[in-house]
Amino acid sequence: MDEKNIIEVSGVNRIFPVPGGEFQALKDINVQIPRGCLAILKGRSGSGKTTLMNIIGALDNPTSGNVLIDFRTVAKMSDHEREELRRKDMGFVFQAVSLIPTMNAFQNVEFSMRLAGIKAGRERDKRVEECLNMVGLGKRMHHMPAEMSGGEQQRVAIARAIAHKPKIILADEPTAELDSAMAAQVTRLFQEMTRKEGITILMTTHDVGLMDAGDMIIELEAGAQVLGDKE
Amino acid sequence: MLRIMLQKLWHKKWMNMCLLLGSILLIATVVSFPLYQTAAYDRMLQDEFRNYMASEGQWPALNSFTIVSKKDAEGTAIKRMEDLMGKVNSDLGVTEKETMYIYQLAQIEATSTMNREDMDSVPVRLGAMSDLPAHAKLLSGEMYSEKGITDDGCIEVVVSQSGLVDMQVLVGETIRLNGFKDADGNEVKLTIKGVFAAEDNSDFYWQVDPNTLNNTCLMNMDLFREMFTGENARKYTITCRYFSLFEYENIKASQVQSLADATKYLTEESGYKSTVRRPAYQDILEDYLRKQGRIQATLVILQIPVLIMLAAFLFMISGQMYDMERNEISVIKSRGSSGAQIFRLYLYQSLFLSIVGGAVGIPLGALFSRILGSARNFLEFDASRSLQITYTAATAKYAAGAVLATLAIMTLPAIKHSRVTIVKLKQSKALKKKSWWEKIFLDVILLGISLYGYYSFRKNSAELAKSVLMGESLDPLLYISSSLFIVGMGLLFLRLQPLLVQLIYLCGKRFWKPASYASFMENLKNGRKQQFIMLFLIMTISLGMYHATVARTILQNARANAEYLDGSDIIIKEVWSEILNMDGTSSGNFIEPDYFKYADMPFAAGYTRVLYDAKSTVDAQGGQAITLMGIHTREFGSITSLDRSLTEKHYYEYLNELAVVSDGVLVSRNFNTKLGLNIGDSVKYTDSTGHSATGKIVDFVDYWPGYAPSVTDLNPDGTAYTEDKYLLIPHYEQLRQKWGVVPYEIWIQLKEGSTSQDVYEWIQKNDVHVAKYVDRQTDIRNTIEDPLLQGTNGVLTMGFIVTIILCAVGYLIYWIMSIRSREMIFGVLRACGMHKGELFQMLMNEQIFSGVFSIFAGIGIGKLASTMFVPMLQQAYAAANQVLPMKLIVNASDMMRLYIVIAAVMVVCLAILILLLFKLNVAKALKLGEE
Repeated sequence: MDEKNIIEVSGVNRIFPVPGGEFQALKDINVQIPRGCLAILKGRSGSGKTTLMNIIGALDNPTSGNVLIDFRTVAKMSDHEREELRRKDMGFVFQAVSLIPTMNAFQNVEFSMRLAGIKAGRERDKRVEECLNMVGLGKRMHHMPAEMSGGEQQRVAIARAIAHKPKIILADEPTAELDSAMAAQVTRLFQEMTRKEGITILMTTHDVGLMDAGDMIIELEAGAQVLGDKE
Repeated sequence: MLRIMLQKLWHKKWMNMCLLLGSILLIATVVSFPLYQTAAYDRMLQDEFRNYMASEGQWPALNSFTIVSKKDAEGTAIKRMEDLMGKVNSDLGVTEKETMYIYQLAQIEATSTMNREDMDSVPVRLGAMSDLPAHAKLLSGEMYSEKGITDDGCIEVVVSQSGLVDMQVLVGETIRLNGFKDADGNEVKLTIKGVFAAEDNSDFYWQVDPNTLNNTCLMNMDLFREMFTGENARKYTITCRYFSLFEYENIKASQVQSLADATKYLTEESGYKSTVRRPAYQDILEDYLRKQGRIQATLVILQIPVLIMLAAFLFMISGQMYDMERNEISVIKSRGSSGAQIFRLYLYQSLFLSIVGGAVGIPLGALFSRILGSARNFLEFDASRSLQITYTAATAKYAAGAVLATLAIMTLPAIKHSRVTIVKLKQSKALKKKSWWEKIFLDVILLGISLYGYYSFRKNSAELAKSVLMGESLDPLLYISSSLFIVGMGLLFLRLQPLLVQLIYLCGKRFWKPASYASFMENLKNGRKQQFIMLFLIMTISLGMYHATVARTILQNARANAEYLDGSDIIIKEVWSEILNMDGTSSGNFIEPDYFKYADMPFAAGYTRVLYDAKSTVDAQGGQAITLMGIHTREFGSITSLDRSLTEKHYYEYLNELAVVSDGVLVSRNFNTKLGLNIGDSVKYTDSTGHSATGKIVDFVDYWPGYAPSVTDLNPDGTAYTEDKYLLIPHYEQLRQKWGVVPYEIWIQLKEGSTSQDVYEWIQKNDVHVAKYVDRQTDIRNTIEDPLLQGTNGVLTMGFIVTIILCAVGYLIYWIMSIRSREMIFGVLRACGMHKGELFQMLMNEQIFSGVFSIFAGIGIGKLASTMFVPMLQQAYAAANQVLPMKLIVNASDMMRLYIVIAAVMVVCLAILILLLFKLNVAKALKLGEE
């Protein structure tokens, strides 16, 4: 096992039962993502991107194969351990708007820190502000999600994903609902974060313009791996 | 359109099922109202007729007319009366049951043709009764023949037994009517053919007691009419009496008004008014109409809260459905559909639901009214006493009204929604609004009105009882103020609830775990959405508690009062014959009926003699009317009882005080407060036959078995008055020694399980002639079966059941919808690493903030409303003879039932919550699954 890899996916298959047979969503996937890397997972709709993301995010189990997150075998973890893993070491950004509608921007960000078990106090408040500043929403901290545009909401979601300093951020089509300028801004933000905070980011997209921003690209086609890295 | 509608209905099948349930219940409740009323009124009317027969011993539905057709006068009077007789019942709109009439000529001196020395001349009336042979039996001789006249021209007559004695005639004898000529100028002779008596005394025919026909000779009616009426009528003076009985058993409540009006016209305005006596049934009908008005008003008012809740339920569910379809509507709208088209779609949908609702609701309403009619107590039914349900025009009117109302409630919110385009929708979603009622301070206004009602009625509570007695319809504010109070308090709670949650939040701001934090946020920011269901919950519980208390209190107090006023289980006073002096005046001495037979009453647990005389006096303040009640202290104490709360000391202490002073008397409290007497004072008292004695006051009693301290009644002019009643209780033995044997009553305590039927059989077997009879079981039953009390009970019970169903369904729906609409957020939270347990706890917290808080608020408000308003309401129901102080009856088992239902709803909510959470697929919820 390579010391520098934080995510190691080896020989993963995922088979869904469908009426009248089976559907193989993932076929023998092998991915290694080094620490502090912005990895881009690309592929057409139905290529199995999201299934792989779910498996890496410990939301789903592979039918066979092995996933190591930060040297720990996900398959051997209890539900509780997986939840702890997601709470503390991972951050999620979803395609659909995913803010909690009853909390303002500040509270949404703060909430992920609460979940990660970070104690209340000035430190935490400062970190929330810092994250919101980082996504350029320092001045809109006390707005409710309904009062913000889709892009703004997505940026709050990113701030929320990074606030508790996770080791990994999983972003599923984070730019899908944003215009290209905004998408580029978000991608830049990701790049910045991998540099500054040493976070590993795995992001799916089908926006070809963003591919260059990634440190490595994993391409899936019909559940099979086409490309392992940027080269 | 139809296809789209059916698809839409199916798509939201659960919501639509709820709407359907709401419509069915609303329509059923409304329809049950006229159905129950018609049936209950019919029953009440028949009860009134029966009671009249039982108490007066007379036929209730009797019209009687008397005319005297004078000699030399216009002879058409009889003809007119005979015409009237033919049509009176159809004029009144009733079916004739039986008619009888008697014609009598003026009195004539008659002498025997047998030259009897023992008889000079006797006054005789010649007459005829309709259809006599069919109703009479002959004691001797025979009936007059069909022809009615002997071959030698003597009129054949029969006489009653008293007639035989009084006229001193013999069977077979012929008498001559002196100076009396028939129409042809011939002398008239009568032959006594026989002596008759009534075949059956209870036969309606015997309106004229044969014993009163002591100088009347009855001949063949046809012959009589031929000889003395028609053309010949002007030569004679004839008294005609008609008695007509109609079939009161078939009189329906709906006929009462017209019957009363027709009767009033007949007796007061028609050409016959001088000949018609005001029939007894007119009083029954007028009394009935008064009662009916009061019952109707009361039941309408009692139904209102339930109807409002039903309407609110429909409004809430349809509102929720429109809310869910807002996106769809606004998209359709933005794509060019007109508002009218969308409105029409919803109109058809609601129409479908209300028509199905009507189809099920109307028969269900009939079931409801049957249940109403069998209500024995709150939430207690007696299936054997269900009502006869008839559908009337009123039913159809109510049903149509209910269906239309349902339709309107479900469709109206669509108007608002059919105008919303997607742009407006997006705008409105961003807005945080205060509820309209918060802005106009509806809670404060409602509380203000209800408290005004509360204080004004409390101030005039004494007047309330009088106005009830006078039949005045009560101020609806009295009933409504309690409902307003409950709604007002509920709204006030809703206003305060967010502050309460905020306070709890702030108290532990730094310590709340993520789950609690999320639920606080949800409640503080999104709590307004729940206000409706919370108000619903509060109202269900508090109205349930309040109505249970009202029903129990009214019934128990009425029952306790009836029990108290009767004094003991059974009271029998026999007919005592008085020994007259030689000159026929009253001697004050009586023949005592056999007392020893009372030792052999298998049903009695105990009995005692009580000298009861309500027409006695004391010589205080120039003679005060009192009731005398001579008792045997030990026996009396063993068979009667008195609630401990009614008197200062224990009941037995008073009896013991009396027991040790041989000439002592217990007197009612007003001897002290009104007559100024004190303990140790002597009073001289006199009974109604003139016996008197002196007693020393040993103590004052506030209450005593069978004693009403004051009585409220109506003056002849219809106004009410209240009169104090005085009671004096000496030793029976003392009076017996001084006065000899004076008529007494036997007070009996029944054994467990014995019924009045046993007593009745014993009375029959021992041939006891009863002058006064009190039967506590019957009195209690009559009290409970009073239509006003029963209807109230039924309406409150039905209302309670309906609200509970609504509340349970409403709350469940609300929860399922609320969880479903937030599935995505749950997915986010789960993805962020929240445990299922935490999610569960979050939802639990929310349920505590909305549900549990509301339940406690509902309990509190219900208790408060009960203590405040039930006493006033009870007064409005209390009969004029309510003498016991009101007791608030809170039945623990009612409350338990309420709590169990609420708890069951909560448990089901929890179960659904757990189920939904376990089914919650994070990936699916977040649309992360396979595309």
